[in-house]
Amino acid sequence: MASQLATVSAFVEGAPPGELADVIADIKALTIESPSLVSQLGPAFEKYNEEQFATVKLPGGSQYVIVSSHNSLGNGRYFDVGSSSSFAFDHTTQKASGVQSYVLESSHSDLVNSILKSLGTHVKEHYPNASYGVYPIEDDSKIAILVVANKYSPNNFWNGRWRSLYIYSPSSSSLSGTMKVDVHYYEDGNVRLLTTKPISASISSGSASTIVREVTVAEKKYQEELNKGFNNLSEGAFKGLRRQLPITRQKIEWDKIAGYRLGQDIGGGSSKR
Amino acid sequence: MSEADQFDSALDLLRRLDPKHTSEHLNSLISLVPTLTEDLLSSVDQPLTIARCRKTGRDYLLCDYNRDGDSYRSPWSGEFETPLGGSGAGGVDDQGNNEGAGEGAVPSERVRKMEVRANEAFDVYRELYYEGGVSSVYFWNLDDGFAGVVLLKKVATPSGKSQGTWDSIHVFEAVDRARTAHYKLTSTVILHLSTGNDALGEMDLSGNMTRQIESDLPVDDDTSHIANIGKLVEDMELKMRNLLQEVYFGKAKDVVGDLRSIAPLTEANRDKATHQEMINSMKR
Repeated sequence: MASQLATVSAFVEGAPPGELADVIADIKALTIESPSLVSQLGPAFEKYNEEQFATVKLPGGSQYVIVSSHNSLGNGRYFDVGSSSSFAFDHTTQKASGVQSYVLESSHSDLVNSILKSLGTHVKEHYPNASYGVYPIEDDSKIAILVVANKYSPNNFWNGRWRSLYIYSPSSSSLSGTMKVDVHYYEDGNVRLLTTKPISASISSGSASTIVREVTVAEKKYQEELNKGFNNLSEGAFKGLRRQLPITRQKIEWDKIAGYRLGQDIGGGSSKR
Repeated sequence: MSEADQFDSALDLLRRLDPKHTSEHLNSLISLVPTLTEDLLSSVDQPLTIARCRKTGRDYLLCDYNRDGDSYRSPWSGEFETPLGGSGAGGVDDQGNNEGAGEGAVPSERVRKMEVRANEAFDVYRELYYEGGVSSVYFWNLDDGFAGVVLLKKVATPSGKSQGTWDSIHVFEAVDRARTAHYKLTSTVILHLSTGNDALGEMDLSGNMTRQIESDLPVDDDTSHIANIGKLVEDMELKMRNLLQEVYFGKAKDVVGDLRSIAPLTEANRDKATHQEMINSMKR
């Protein structure tokens, strides 16, 4: 049974953006003979939600807040600096409850709050729909900066997610992180874009605006590289796999295909393989 | 929950999970629900494997349609090749009959003749469109006609860190009617692309798309079948190549742009407003 749980947990982990519920429905149908399996998926859901930076609207709140390992208080509770609150998160239903006020206790409180403010401006300028968070981590020795943007369009068979995670270390004045893009298109097929880009930079002054400027520059540069990547794959690997038309620019005359064989080198190709 | 519902759920899951690892997901599903094994193996397309024909030295492609247990039939020699190095006529029973996919189907003499010609024709097609790669065509008999699969595979020559693989799987049925045949074609293309460097990191764009068409075409003799199937596959591949281009390099790129805008949104919105104003003023 343990291996079955590992199998379905891997399915959960591989759920595309916005399609966790669909994947769970499939798992339920496939494991109908052992219904207890789905009830054991709690840890898999927790891992998925924290890794994917799941977002949730707090009861009575208007903003979406992030769920991740970086703002976890343990026992299924998480904190959000922007709204000064903590909340319980049900990883199976993806719902928040038990909101309490949360006072940030950190030697970097001022920096965390200023990064949050600068980051908010940056996010509004470049993401039509994103959530973000800034949290002190690792015994208050570092600061985690998170951005997650989702766009779901299941009626048009596509969903997408952008995730940025940056860790600022005040002691070494360095910023490191990863940007990830995940796009799924599934109309009469299954096409997936998965990217990951690590960054690291040293920050000259430890001010919030310098840190966020570094983030802004890195993200802009990355998105430009990504667009170049699309063009390179389209013009390079894709074109090299299959021509749109033979070199003669004409479709094959199938009635004369036996004659092509005799010609062997028609169209300039040789019979190499 | 019926088996059919479970089968649909398995296909739905495979349509959602990372298409680069379809074969692993397929194995997971089979171990989870063993009763689905046959249905899944015969309906889920996986990247094709290449083998070398021992008799002719030419490469050919392996799939469920030329498989008999552990052996595969080479389209060039027409013989089954076992992993141990033997060869044989395949899974023919005492009456000379055999079943379908995975059970050592061998075409009748007439259909094998067409199969040989189809392999020659698609070898030319492969060279003209793929300029390399491997092709294989397998036919088998139906009660009211015949069926077959046209396979094409090309692995891109790596340039820098870019990689690419194209697998085409065209399964068709040709049902004889008076002076025509009714063709039903189901085509899948599996396309894996990836690239990477320090500035870009890792970028993987992988997937598969499936399309179907049906068509009635005139048939004079068996040569007509080859030409008809050739045209159908050629048109379908052209259509699918355009579709893949649109989805991989258009749609996927657009979604990234929808998630995050390179240009500041206030600027973009201002430009949009200016543009709208211009349009409005021209309308006046």
